[in-house]
Amino acid sequence: MSDVSRRLALSLLGVGAVGAVGASWPRLTGADIPGRGSESLNVAILGNAQDAASRVNLVKAFSAANPNIKVRIQAIQGADWGDFFAKILTMVAAGTSPDVVLVATEGAQLFAERLAEPLDAFVQRDQQEIQDYFDDVHPSLIEAFMYQGSLFQLPMDFNSANMYMNTGAFEKAGLARPGDHWTHDDFYNSLTAMKKTGGKQFVPYYWTNRLFGGVVPWLYVNDTSFLKETRSTGGSWFWDKFYANDPTRGMRSGGYQWLEPNAEDPRVAESFEFLRTLVAEGLGTSPAQGGGNELVAQFASGLIGTTPAGGYWVEGLHEAGMAEDAFDVQFFPKWRTQRHQFGAAGYAIMKTSTRKDEAWEWIKFCATKEAMELAMPLPTTTPTRRSMVNEALYAGKGPAHWKVFYDTLDEFPSSGPIPAPPQQAAVESALIKNVLGAVTGSAANIKPAMSTLQRDLELALRRN
Amino acid sequence: MSTTVKSSPAIALQQVPNAKGRGKEKGGRRLAALFLAPTIIGITIFTLVPIVASLTLAFFRWDIISTPEFVGVDNFVSIGADPTIRRAFLNTIGFVAVAVSLQLTVSIGLAVLIQSKMPSWLRTFFRSAFFFPLVLSAASVSIIMSYLFNQNFGLVNQIIGLVGIPAVPWLTSQAGAMVVIILVYVWQNFGFTFLLIIGGLSSIPVEMYEASSIDGATGWKQFKNITLPLLSPTLLVASVMAIISALQIFDQPYVITRGGPGDSTRTAVMVIYETAFKQLDFGRAFAIGIVLTLLIMLVTAVQFRLSRRFVHYN
Repeated sequence: MSDVSRRLALSLLGVGAVGAVGASWPRLTGADIPGRGSESLNVAILGNAQDAASRVNLVKAFSAANPNIKVRIQAIQGADWGDFFAKILTMVAAGTSPDVVLVATEGAQLFAERLAEPLDAFVQRDQQEIQDYFDDVHPSLIEAFMYQGSLFQLPMDFNSANMYMNTGAFEKAGLARPGDHWTHDDFYNSLTAMKKTGGKQFVPYYWTNRLFGGVVPWLYVNDTSFLKETRSTGGSWFWDKFYANDPTRGMRSGGYQWLEPNAEDPRVAESFEFLRTLVAEGLGTSPAQGGGNELVAQFASGLIGTTPAGGYWVEGLHEAGMAEDAFDVQFFPKWRTQRHQFGAAGYAIMKTSTRKDEAWEWIKFCATKEAMELAMPLPTTTPTRRSMVNEALYAGKGPAHWKVFYDTLDEFPSSGPIPAPPQQAAVESALIKNVLGAVTGSAANIKPAMSTLQRDLELALRRN
Repeated sequence: MSTTVKSSPAIALQQVPNAKGRGKEKGGRRLAALFLAPTIIGITIFTLVPIVASLTLAFFRWDIISTPEFVGVDNFVSIGADPTIRRAFLNTIGFVAVAVSLQLTVSIGLAVLIQSKMPSWLRTFFRSAFFFPLVLSAASVSIIMSYLFNQNFGLVNQIIGLVGIPAVPWLTSQAGAMVVIILVYVWQNFGFTFLLIIGGLSSIPVEMYEASSIDGATGWKQFKNITLPLLSPTLLVASVMAIISALQIFDQPYVITRGGPGDSTRTAVMVIYETAFKQLDFGRAFAIGIVLTLLIMLVTAVQFRLSRRFVHYN
């Protein structure tokens, strides 16, 4: 037996001690990566850890009702929905796909085409349990999540592009709250009046260059869009079962389709020309790409007269110190139509999930009124359940005409979702990069800008 | 026999240290390999494998979730045909030319000023102050800058408005947006170049300046004939690093302008990101990445080639 030196013995002892400490130390392993662990239903949402924490009560209530299903909320940060979807795709590629993903209109068709499981069998199986939800939710919101005749998501919240108004600026200009069916000319006249009395830094109309609330609402009210909108066949199985008695049943379809660009439609140029005029006359801002961060603070400071936004803005304005009577909301102005744009979000079950039944239980639970009240205690968005959009939600925060948020769907049932085909991210990039060139400079810029937009959209839609 | 017996201890005496030495050498190599292993494994997994993978996948059409489909050189051919990509590369080259020139000029100017006579605490303060922006998150800086340069409510327009200058559409005009991106980038990045140049200036012997002073050279003549030539090796390193870094610009235009207005601030790395994660065309994104890498290699090679003429090591 060979001799062991003191140095070697001490070294071995040291290595052993370090190894023992290392082995017993609580540490992350591959199983801790969300999606790899097999114990929980992983639900991915767009947001940060605080957003995940805000759903603690929702998860607790779900666990109480479904003690055998563990839920893990995974907050994924992103600058916008596009960033969020890119990260979900990366997770799918890495084999760590979540089971359920909260998907907004922007990604609804991308998920429906490639990633999500249709809910058709689930809703038909549990019709009795889920009928209460459909009875409370406007069919326009459901139709936005139908794709080629199948239902892929149950929308939980939505926001229409309504018009927010600074009541102080209106009063100062001698303007009353506009009527429900005010026109784009009335809108223009209101801006002109506010500009005269608003002061040096005041902006009568602030808008941002993005898919929601940018140029699109002006296209919709002018009865056009930058993509040709058609509807899929199919979906009767759903409408006949769940919305058979709805007065708008006849106009429902198997989902929206955006297959071709439409930027060279003269009405598109007409809408752009209207916006260009607002910018040229100093009535509206030049919309910066990626802008809008400063919007809430500036609106609350009284520096902005009007801006398009949805119910999601109420809590932000309240927290920014805006009194409930300092702002109000009205439908978007009428042009050829008064069709509104809206965006919504709901949970989708991933095709790759091995827990589809549990995922459906989560979705079904989240669609109950109890769960939606836990998920949306504040007016940070508009709940899709009509019964939840009530005086209590807006008490002490405003606006006085909060009913506008849901009435938009009832008054204008042809209102449609953000144009978001499966290639939405590329389509959105094509749109926003061509908007500024069209609305700044001379009227002669519009035609070439629309031609470039048409070309860019063709390229974007060609990609699958 | 006796010879053998006699010689054995001598041989043994000579061989024992050699054997121990070889053992030590072997042990040393093993130890070195052990210490190098984490780095080698890291480089292999996180650098070499991705390089090989991207070189391969550049010849495929791949949306990350489906099986890659071989398309030959289509991805490379389509790069030249895409006006957005062409514009992005041109923007990047223009940006690099202006931003790096400005970065080097500002760094040299400030470094020479800092090296002039001033209290040491003030010198330390300036060195820290100039380096400080580099440690900030580029995304955070960019968000703040987008507020500052907002046409309607930004502080910059409010300040210039005090002297009667009308509001500048910084972020909504093509020229204005690029100016902002360059200013923000240079402000945040010149600190590193500045430190390199401070180091270079410190290594120039004071006697050179003293001798030239006796010969009557001062100010600009000293700078031109002593400082610049002796600083040239440092400037080469600084410019190579600055150009490589600037060619990869992403954060500032992505956060501040999203590449707009139009494509005016879209850069090469932005189109790589957008092609991959917005258009889900990863093969094409890899192809653009390879083109950018080749461009970086070409520019660096040209710099080293030119350095033979302009860099003085003695």
